[in-house]
Amino acid sequence: MKKELTFQTRREFLRHAVLGGALTWTVPAFLAHTFAALAAQGTGRRVQAATGRDGTILVVLQMAGGNDGLNTVVPYANDEYHRARPRLGLAGDKVLKLTDELGLNPALVGFKALYDGGQLAIVQGVGYPNPNRSHFRSTEIWQTASEANRSERYGWIGRYFDAACGGGDADVGVSVGRQMPQAFRAKRPKGISLDNPQTYRFMTSGRPRPGQKDALEESFRKLNQVDEAAAEHPGGTLAAIGGAGPVDGSALDFVERTALEAQVSSDRIRAIAGRGTNQAAYPASNLGNSLRLVARLIGGGMPTRVYYVSQGGYDTHTNQLAAQERLLKDLSDSVQAFVKDLKAQGQLARVLLMTFSEFGRRVAENASGGTDHGAAAPLFVVGERVKAGLVGRHPSLAPDQLFRGDLKHTLDFRSVYATLLEDWLETPSLPLLGKAFPKIGLV
Amino acid sequence: MLRPLAAEKWDYGSAAHLLNRAGFGGPPGEIEALVALGPEQAVDRLVNYEEIPDLTPAPEWAKPDPERARQLAGAQRLSVEERQKLQREEQQRQRERLAELRGWWLQRMARGARPLQEKMVLFWHGHFATSFEKVRDATLMWRQNETFRRRATGNWLELLIETAKDPAMLIWLDQAQSRKERPNENFAREVMELFTLGEGEFTEEDVAQGARALTGWTFDRAGQRFVNRPTWHDTGHKVIFGKEGNFDGEDFLELIVARPAAGRFITRKLWRFFAGTEPSEELAAALASLFRRSGNEFKPLLRAIFRSEEFYSPRVRRNQVKSPVQWLIGSVRMLERELPPPEVCAAMLRSMGQDLFAPPNVKGWEEGVGWITTNTLMARYNQAAVLVYGEPDGVAGRAPAAQTARGAGAKRKGGAGQPGGAAATSPEAPGARPAAGGVEVKRILSDAQRSSKEELIGALEQRLLQARLKPEHRRVLREYLDSQGALDEAGILNAIRLVMSTPEYQVA
Repeated sequence: MKKELTFQTRREFLRHAVLGGALTWTVPAFLAHTFAALAAQGTGRRVQAATGRDGTILVVLQMAGGNDGLNTVVPYANDEYHRARPRLGLAGDKVLKLTDELGLNPALVGFKALYDGGQLAIVQGVGYPNPNRSHFRSTEIWQTASEANRSERYGWIGRYFDAACGGGDADVGVSVGRQMPQAFRAKRPKGISLDNPQTYRFMTSGRPRPGQKDALEESFRKLNQVDEAAAEHPGGTLAAIGGAGPVDGSALDFVERTALEAQVSSDRIRAIAGRGTNQAAYPASNLGNSLRLVARLIGGGMPTRVYYVSQGGYDTHTNQLAAQERLLKDLSDSVQAFVKDLKAQGQLARVLLMTFSEFGRRVAENASGGTDHGAAAPLFVVGERVKAGLVGRHPSLAPDQLFRGDLKHTLDFRSVYATLLEDWLETPSLPLLGKAFPKIGLV
Repeated sequence: MLRPLAAEKWDYGSAAHLLNRAGFGGPPGEIEALVALGPEQAVDRLVNYEEIPDLTPAPEWAKPDPERARQLAGAQRLSVEERQKLQREEQQRQRERLAELRGWWLQRMARGARPLQEKMVLFWHGHFATSFEKVRDATLMWRQNETFRRRATGNWLELLIETAKDPAMLIWLDQAQSRKERPNENFAREVMELFTLGEGEFTEEDVAQGARALTGWTFDRAGQRFVNRPTWHDTGHKVIFGKEGNFDGEDFLELIVARPAAGRFITRKLWRFFAGTEPSEELAAALASLFRRSGNEFKPLLRAIFRSEEFYSPRVRRNQVKSPVQWLIGSVRMLERELPPPEVCAAMLRSMGQDLFAPPNVKGWEEGVGWITTNTLMARYNQAAVLVYGEPDGVAGRAPAAQTARGAGAKRKGGAGQPGGAAATSPEAPGARPAAGGVEVKRILSDAQRSSKEELIGALEQRLLQARLKPEHRRVLREYLDSQGALDEAGILNAIRLVMSTPEYQVA
């Protein structure tokens, strides 16, 4: 029997129960602390190879709030750009030049290095027809890959789970954080969310009465089991329920189902999380912590195919320059560390990371040193096997080429999804997206 | 539609349902008191809360602080280093006040005599979801909270106008920066999309024109108050919802509230908040019509909801996932224990997915099953232990050492940052006070309930669920108690935690 991680005293246990949640953002070092403890149970890193779980992995990184694409991949040589942005425009001597026309925001030093190293693709002018400027609706459109005027119930990744990961475990999808992204919503619910493996379990004081196994934990397990037959046939009493969405069944059905998933995945994650070791230093930010955990789970051999992480704060209506630079620096440094980590762990070749934001921003700056909600913007795809470089066409900034002051998209985001589904996750995209979208050379 | 519940259907279960939804639940004694009142008076007692005196004082720091305002205003003259130091101190002070503010509000919910008022404040906070993370001023967050309290069940247009002029909101949705040369559309858009009408009920043109109408409304930092600056206002002609005129901000909000969609939108959302289900089309129409007939006043609407048969129907009862705040406040009320200290409450709520004064975005929290993920569910099960056994001392900076450190102006990280570290474990020394504030079983259970396993289980069902456990879960609980031999305090506490660690406990 391997030694269970137990808390020696009730007081120590309680401290973990309360602080576990708080630490995830107040103390960047929490993971080191966590994994140091868990490593004791780890059974060695080679287990992963033995399990044969070596499929490709997609990491989706949401830049929430609507990132200003024009100040991310900057058309620094364009007069229209500087005319529209007298205060916010970035000059040629500021940006990290990619071509004679385009340069990266000065904060994206890490991305520039990845670009130069052939590990970063910049997909330009991504959007969709009839763009919606509401954060929520536009995020929903991206998450469900729907037409702008139609509501789609399930997420694009959820539909992938339904089509390609049938009958498997809930942890084919892992969302780092407390919320379940709408992209994971599926007919047969899949996907778990966590942010700290150590508190991702039913914690007991670890001091059962002498001569007894932990009866409390045993009872807990029984209270959180769902009738297996019902769980296997979601058409029955446990109706189809999406991740964070409207319910068909009762609220209680939903909680029961989640309780079962929590229990099963908790056992697995505790076993796996201790196996790997991070081999790069990450920024002390939420995003850095999230990607560090993802790298750890990948290295430990989770069977997860899609990870979801997010970074918020891009809704820069006021004083955008400093705020966006801070966010982009965090993004670029975190992703660079992630790449370095996976490379050192020998895992990089099977991982691809895609960023997205619900929309770009208006071409013209507003009067508050910021920008308002807009439309098309670039996104990034990172990995060892990515076809690096600039992909697609930058939208025109000529005033007569704008739609209500917004850039017109030159590429539908569902073309990016189609490419990733087919060429990376090896799944036909037509049934999942409902329409054939031309693929782009990415992988 | 909306027929009053028949008096003979009024019982412990329905009274508990009312108290859970219109308030934050309560112990059996409070529920019995509502049963005795009968449905009409029970609802009236909750709705007519002005008759009950509110004795909670405002936080000490809520008063105007001219000294501080002068200091901050003079910051321009300071050197860069001095200015940065001042800003850091100010940020730290605001963080500490935010922690206090959270505790202050939770205490009102847990102990205040006006549960419906606080429930409505919580509703408005989620509705006009404003975050400290951008506002960065605890006093302004408190003032907004007080506005919601003062207007909790009043008139819709008055609440909307006051909220639009509220300093925290002016900062949160950038209205403070909007001027006629280039209006900022953020507030104009969200007020229609999220606060009043819903998507699809307005055009992009309405957003642009509404933003023009609102120009001039801004925030005076020195005076810490709303001002209307005529020189910033666009006095030109505007067209909103097809109506033409030289509209200003109040006109714009009035035009919005006059839309038929406005009444449907807010009444539907209130029904969802209190009933936890989507209303039928018929019911939605009845609610909107009642609201309109009462001149857009909330009190008659709420009274009708809480009296209605529909509100007590089987698909409404015990079919709503508790929000983390509901879970926490309801639990301490049902367990008849004190609220944990503010820092502990904040950490608990965060782990369950609800930071008060810091909603995830302007849409607020996703109520209902959106609260439940594998992660947050596990957090609920573990936080239950904290409430049952009592919170550890030395948590989150409460250790004597950490307090001293704060007093001396040193870094706070020592106490909060090292839960297993030496600083936090030192109170383990002999004579240290025991973990504080757990459940006192003698207080909430009679002698008979503490000596008979069957009676104990029945009492816990009645207190914690106001319903029966599933038979198989009842059996598991009984088997657990049997495995522990004779009933003792530890076994009873564990049984309470087990009931709280079931899917059943997460709904009410």
